[in-house]
Amino acid sequence: MGRTDVRDRGRLARRVATVLAVLGIVAHVAHEIVRGLAQGRLPLGNMFEVTSLMALVGVVVGLGYLHFVRRRPELDGFVLLGGALVLGMAMLMYAEPGPLMPILDTWWRPFHVSLLVSGMGIFAAAFIFNALFLLRDTAELSVARSRSRSAGGSTVGAAYIGDVSDGAAADTRDAAVTPAAADGPESDPDDERDRAELAAYHRALRAGISPVKLAVGTFLGTSLVSWVWLTTAETLTAGLGRFLTVNLTMVAAALLARWFVPFLPSTATMDGIAHRTTAFAFVLWTVGTIAGAMWAEVSWGRFWGWDPKETGAFLTWIAYAGYLHARATRGVKGRGAAWIGVAAFIVLMGTYLIANYVVVGLHSYADL
Amino acid sequence: MTESAPPPQQNPPLRRGRTSPTGPVAFVWDAVLMGWRWLARMRTALYLLLALAVLSIVATGVPQEPNVPSTVAAWRAGESGPGVVVSQVLDAVGAFDVYGSAIFLAVLLALYISLTACLIPRIKAWVRLVRRSQPPIVRHLGAQDERTSFVTDHSPEQVRASAVRVLAQRRWRVRRHDGDGADRRPAQVAAEKGLWAREGGSLVFHLSFYVLLAAIVVGQLLTFEGQRGVVEGDPGFRDTAVSYWSYSPGRWFGESDHDGWRMELEEFHVDWVRDPLAPGAGQPTVFRSDVQITPVDGEPFAAVVDSNQPLNLDGTRITQLDWGYAPRVVVEVDGEVLHDTFLTPVLADGGFYRGAVKAPAAEPDLGLDVFLYPYAPDGEDGRPVPTGAPWADAPLLVFEQYRGDLRLGATQQTINELDVAALDSDGFGALRLGQSIEVEGVTISFPELRRWVGFQVSSRPQVPYLLLGSGLLVLGLLGSLYAYRRRLWVVTMEDPAAARTLVTVAGRAFQRPEAFEQEFEDLVTELMAATSATPSPTDPDEGTPNAPRTAETSRWSDHGPRPARAAVPTAVLPDNADAVPDGGVRLPVRPDDDRGTHRRT
Repeated sequence: MGRTDVRDRGRLARRVATVLAVLGIVAHVAHEIVRGLAQGRLPLGNMFEVTSLMALVGVVVGLGYLHFVRRRPELDGFVLLGGALVLGMAMLMYAEPGPLMPILDTWWRPFHVSLLVSGMGIFAAAFIFNALFLLRDTAELSVARSRSRSAGGSTVGAAYIGDVSDGAAADTRDAAVTPAAADGPESDPDDERDRAELAAYHRALRAGISPVKLAVGTFLGTSLVSWVWLTTAETLTAGLGRFLTVNLTMVAAALLARWFVPFLPSTATMDGIAHRTTAFAFVLWTVGTIAGAMWAEVSWGRFWGWDPKETGAFLTWIAYAGYLHARATRGVKGRGAAWIGVAAFIVLMGTYLIANYVVVGLHSYADL
Repeated sequence: MTESAPPPQQNPPLRRGRTSPTGPVAFVWDAVLMGWRWLARMRTALYLLLALAVLSIVATGVPQEPNVPSTVAAWRAGESGPGVVVSQVLDAVGAFDVYGSAIFLAVLLALYISLTACLIPRIKAWVRLVRRSQPPIVRHLGAQDERTSFVTDHSPEQVRASAVRVLAQRRWRVRRHDGDGADRRPAQVAAEKGLWAREGGSLVFHLSFYVLLAAIVVGQLLTFEGQRGVVEGDPGFRDTAVSYWSYSPGRWFGESDHDGWRMELEEFHVDWVRDPLAPGAGQPTVFRSDVQITPVDGEPFAAVVDSNQPLNLDGTRITQLDWGYAPRVVVEVDGEVLHDTFLTPVLADGGFYRGAVKAPAAEPDLGLDVFLYPYAPDGEDGRPVPTGAPWADAPLLVFEQYRGDLRLGATQQTINELDVAALDSDGFGALRLGQSIEVEGVTISFPELRRWVGFQVSSRPQVPYLLLGSGLLVLGLLGSLYAYRRRLWVVTMEDPAAARTLVTVAGRAFQRPEAFEQEFEDLVTELMAATSATPSPTDPDEGTPNAPRTAETSRWSDHGPRPARAAVPTAVLPDNADAVPDGGVRLPVRPDDDRGTHRRT
């Protein structure tokens, strides 16, 4: 099998994937428009509509950011995967289209809700990059550790580790994932050996993440949020079904991401993307929450009343403020910050579901 | 990767160490200092934020007395919730009123002290920075992220003047250095931006919390909030302290601060999607109150209170909070009318409205526990079938009659609740609209059904200040996240032989270097246009603005060390090479660059 064949197949796969992704986005946009037209209002009136739009915003902003700002098209798949997961969650809360409660029928609603929904979608994208960062970082750390063990402290080994964890290996890896970079001269005599080494490195990276630990961790981490379905469904069986669906889907996504770990860009890149997206979503969240307080003052006669949803927005804000502060302080970087980002997303999703399903509050009407 | 470095500070001048005093005062002072330093740490602030988050979770899980006093009472009595013992524990720690508890206030106070302790040195440093800092003059451009050069026929002075103009136009802070290179610093224009805005934005963000706190605290003192239910067509109520059902004025809000207008409810409009098959079946479609306001010294006028359009009367806001059906219930005993008013029952789970009739004039006291089903059409067997539908097409009033002691004034009870502890059940009854019934010698009739609306009247002078605080918060946030710190140098070298000037532009991005590349290219292009220049012929490989830079070199550059964009064009160097001993041909090394700290982990 020649190298050209591989590349052609790669190009074909990329083209098919691009077409599918564009079709998916177009279909989603069409769905939102048709639903909006059918109801005669913006589709932001209940949890299904909000979550569905959250997926769309996350995917569109994520892809736009990756393509036009970061130029990292190879990360598209993860954004789409995240969008598909959020959309799947939306389908668990499907609601027929219908008219709006009069109290929601005001320009405040699109203003307040769309800001927060965009924030949620972009927080979701940030979560994906935090998770990918942690995966890649774990894999690299593990590879470095095993190399240093086998090198037995010899200086030669140490130099080799330095190469691998520094620029040289990074360059090789980049070459492997950059279509443009692969267009170079092909008659390299070391080509065969390089590729074998690269494949070995990929295997080592994958082996660096224990699949059992990853699966169990993802299952438990998802359970921190998905228990809501377990407790609020009509029957225990239905609840257990939803709970397991959500958890096992997340586990499958994590294992899929593990397979892709060798093809991820450098940890610094993903760390940076996670930080930028979180910062942007944080601004949206802040403005959206303030807009909510202003709407509450108009509509309910008080600007803040510690309603469950308000508490949830506040908690999420605190969690992400903690993330940004951790990033700004010199002590916590990389893994520490990424874990805080993951925890903040758990807070976001947890408060979103709990405030809607478990605790009754002023926001409870219209399933929103 | 994108954090700002702390603003450069000069080392504090060395002070002679004082002999530390001893004794109890010094011990207390040391303890205070230690506490202050502990509070000033970022980690402490994060822990305090975490504590605040935990408290608000507690407040979500445990019913809060200011919001749902009846639920809290039920928890305390053990009727619902985890039981009496747990409730006593919760009461002891103030969990039934978290936001008014000592723990919450202590955390909030600690957080603000911590914020203050964090901010004082930062503000000092920032003021020093703004007053003293100047874009630094460089000796050589060996270690900058971006660099390019070009040649122009303009004189070095002209080039520097153009650079000052172009950079000032783009809001850079500019410093011009017209040397001849004798002080080992070539003639140049140094520029800087984002240094004040980033840290300044962060400071504004944090200072806005003081504005918010002040607005909330002072607002609590000046505010007033009262609730009152009004039945359609009733005389309504006057804006005085005694006429509200629930009344919570701030400490500084006196009775004379009421405007004293009178408000009547003329009609309340409410409707639903009645078709059970239509989308959104059963959902309400309109909530609107037509009211009439009579100012103290003025003509009455009509006004509307809508869901999202509260009525604003000189800063007093009238909002619809609640509504319900208002059945008129007449109670007669031996031809004597003991009760003839509209009830204001509230919606209960199950789609009925529950209220109470209290007639202490009867002997013994008489009470009715009233259930109103708005839509209970007759079934096939002629008996009414209660449904959950909210529209009053077939209202049915069901009641249970009690006799005994109402315990009015003895226990706390709302107007819609009977305290049945000292009452005995004395029969049941069900009434259609316009019917009357006799139960145990008491005639009860249901002649009329109207609606009532619960209005909230509030005065909140703090809202504009809260908005101000929120605006500052968002502005500061934008500055602290999106003001990027950059430095730029335009170094001019005269080439006497060719009577032309060699210009080298170099820049450094402290945050978001990938965003700086484009900005840098634009700047260089503009500078070249301003000096009618051509790309430097000595430097064909260097990323000149006109040569298209491939995406690979510019966008993939943060993967590892940059490809060695090697040499500074030698022509840029001063003639006396000694002035720049290393010749500027160094690989990019950025010892103090915070971006580098994480890249190679």
